[in-house]
Amino acid sequence: MPSFDDLKPFIVLGFALGGVFAMQGVGLVVLYQATGVLNLAYGAIGAAGAFLTWELIDNDLGPHWLAYTACIAFAGVVTLAYGWLFGPPFAARDPLVKATATLGLLLILVGWMQWHYGANAHGFKLPSENHYITVSGVRVTYTQLIGIVFPIIVTAATALFLRKSKLGTAMRALANDREITSMLGVPVRRVEAVAWFGSGIICGVAGLLLSQLVGLDIVTLTFFVIAALAAALIGQLKSLWGTLIGGFVIGIVQSCLATPNTIWANSGAYRTMTPFVLAIIAILWVARKRQVVVQT
Amino acid sequence: MRQIAWVVVFILFALFGLPFLLERGWVPLPSHSATSYWIGIFTYTVIYSLVTLGLGLLIGRVGLVSLCQFMLLLVGSWAAVRFDQLWPWLPYPAVLLVAGLVTGAIGTLIGLPALRLSGLYLALITLMAAAAITVLLKVQQFPNGGGGFWGVKQGSPISQISRPSIALGDTAFYRYCVCVAIVMFLIAFWHVKTKPGRAWAAIRQSEATALSAGVRTTVYKLWAFALAAFFAGVAGGMLASPPGVNINQLRTQDSIAIYAITLVGGVYTLAGAVVGGLVFRLVPALFEQWGIGVEWFTILSGVGILQVLLTAPGGIAQQVPHDFGNLGKKLYGAVTGKNRAAKAAAAAPAPGPAVVSSVEAVEPTS
Repeated sequence: MPSFDDLKPFIVLGFALGGVFAMQGVGLVVLYQATGVLNLAYGAIGAAGAFLTWELIDNDLGPHWLAYTACIAFAGVVTLAYGWLFGPPFAARDPLVKATATLGLLLILVGWMQWHYGANAHGFKLPSENHYITVSGVRVTYTQLIGIVFPIIVTAATALFLRKSKLGTAMRALANDREITSMLGVPVRRVEAVAWFGSGIICGVAGLLLSQLVGLDIVTLTFFVIAALAAALIGQLKSLWGTLIGGFVIGIVQSCLATPNTIWANSGAYRTMTPFVLAIIAILWVARKRQVVVQT
Repeated sequence: MRQIAWVVVFILFALFGLPFLLERGWVPLPSHSATSYWIGIFTYTVIYSLVTLGLGLLIGRVGLVSLCQFMLLLVGSWAAVRFDQLWPWLPYPAVLLVAGLVTGAIGTLIGLPALRLSGLYLALITLMAAAAITVLLKVQQFPNGGGGFWGVKQGSPISQISRPSIALGDTAFYRYCVCVAIVMFLIAFWHVKTKPGRAWAAIRQSEATALSAGVRTTVYKLWAFALAAFFAGVAGGMLASPPGVNINQLRTQDSIAIYAITLVGGVYTLAGAVVGGLVFRLVPALFEQWGIGVEWFTILSGVGILQVLLTAPGGIAQQVPHDFGNLGKKLYGAVTGKNRAAKAAAAAPAPGPAVVSSVEAVEPTS
């Protein structure tokens, strides 16, 4: 059994990794709670934004901060446009159909990225990559720090927003029952638009950070959403805090499995299974008492 | 009766017509690639249509969604290579059968949560399983053939099992695959037409009702998963024959892609599975050869899936004949001058067509 001191650097790394899972996971849950749509294109939208940033920087079009803003704005606008166009026709459908529809957006974005940017990897560096602090012998870049802090702030802010603000209350009502909410005089489409745009903004920031933490690669970034889904599933697609904690737990477990140990010599090779195995356990745990699912 | 005639014509064309035309270069395909290239593409098409067949059954008949079907295909390949290494004396059909059975068992295992989950959660748990199996197979150096069951041969990324001795050539192997596929489609057809098909339909409408009507939902749900996985496993066995599979094919996202393509092809008809196979492999190859770029295929399939979900639940397999039928009627009317009567019928208050189309969407015809 490795001692705690041996594990320390891996735990630090685990937090940095967990932030990555938590970031997208929280964004997914926010939208799912507000609109009932599990946006599988979440990774693709962020990736497209990050590629746009790269294009702007590479061609020297405007200052860098503008390029970063462009990524966030792009993600917000694309998400909003999708929600505005395809939200209403799918509103009454099964959550699975809504999620499948976002696959359409995913494929369109991936195709466009591959056509426009090619499959060869590009890269750009956020200024936060150049600074770092050292925690128990591990170098943590500012990007990683932001990656840890950002999901926490988003979770806290969203939780507060949903609970305290009028708009947040409307959003929760909307998630519960769209028809009744509209009967109560809530401008359903406008509230939904805010939810889509907000989640798009989070998606843009996440895309920007992930392009640094995971690498600027079309397929990797797009399908990173599968791993992030694992964090969201640990939060039952409901709880923002659960998702946040789930993300960090996944990160820490995965990182600690890389520790050389005597109990399970080959644990490192299997460590990327962590998010999926934990998600499966989480789903099965929820389903353990359910017998027959009666659909209404 | 007319349907059977069409199916027979299609089978005869797939078995004899297509290879004949390809070998003579009479097919309007881009000519700058060799015949064997297109035969290979069509072989893949047949193999993938078995995956879409199983997935289509699950989605269209039982109403369950599995996002690990492509992974099960690769599990089938893996099992085929492993058992071929373990027992080299095993004849080819037996290898396919064993691959199918092993995959069927694994598919049933993945389907177990389906007893308590449905909809989105079931889809997601199968996706997670697919991602986890990807890692497992990667660590096992998929499907790297060495001696014995766990053997690994260093330095050879591609592993394969030899083709059956009666079908060594490309065209012969293509025909062999078509024959295997026909058997699988017959099994599927038989299931749909008899007791399991009725049980599945009941489960799809309402599980509680099915249960109260005395349908053994547990058995039939698991059986659907097992059957779909069996088809994928047999297809995987054929995929493991030359040119063989390699580790680069281990991609979780392909399971998502084949789900999308299955929906686009059509899940309420068995013909949809064939269309799905064609869309999954032939269309991208055509795009590539025509110099359009596979990216546009990806974009088109994205548009296609939105279209299917919004307006055409039956996918290409039902929508295209339907649209062509309408077009034919319109043209016929224009030529014979009978369109005035048709217009009058359309102008009359007609709730009929709308109801009919929604019934079509709910009630699968095979």
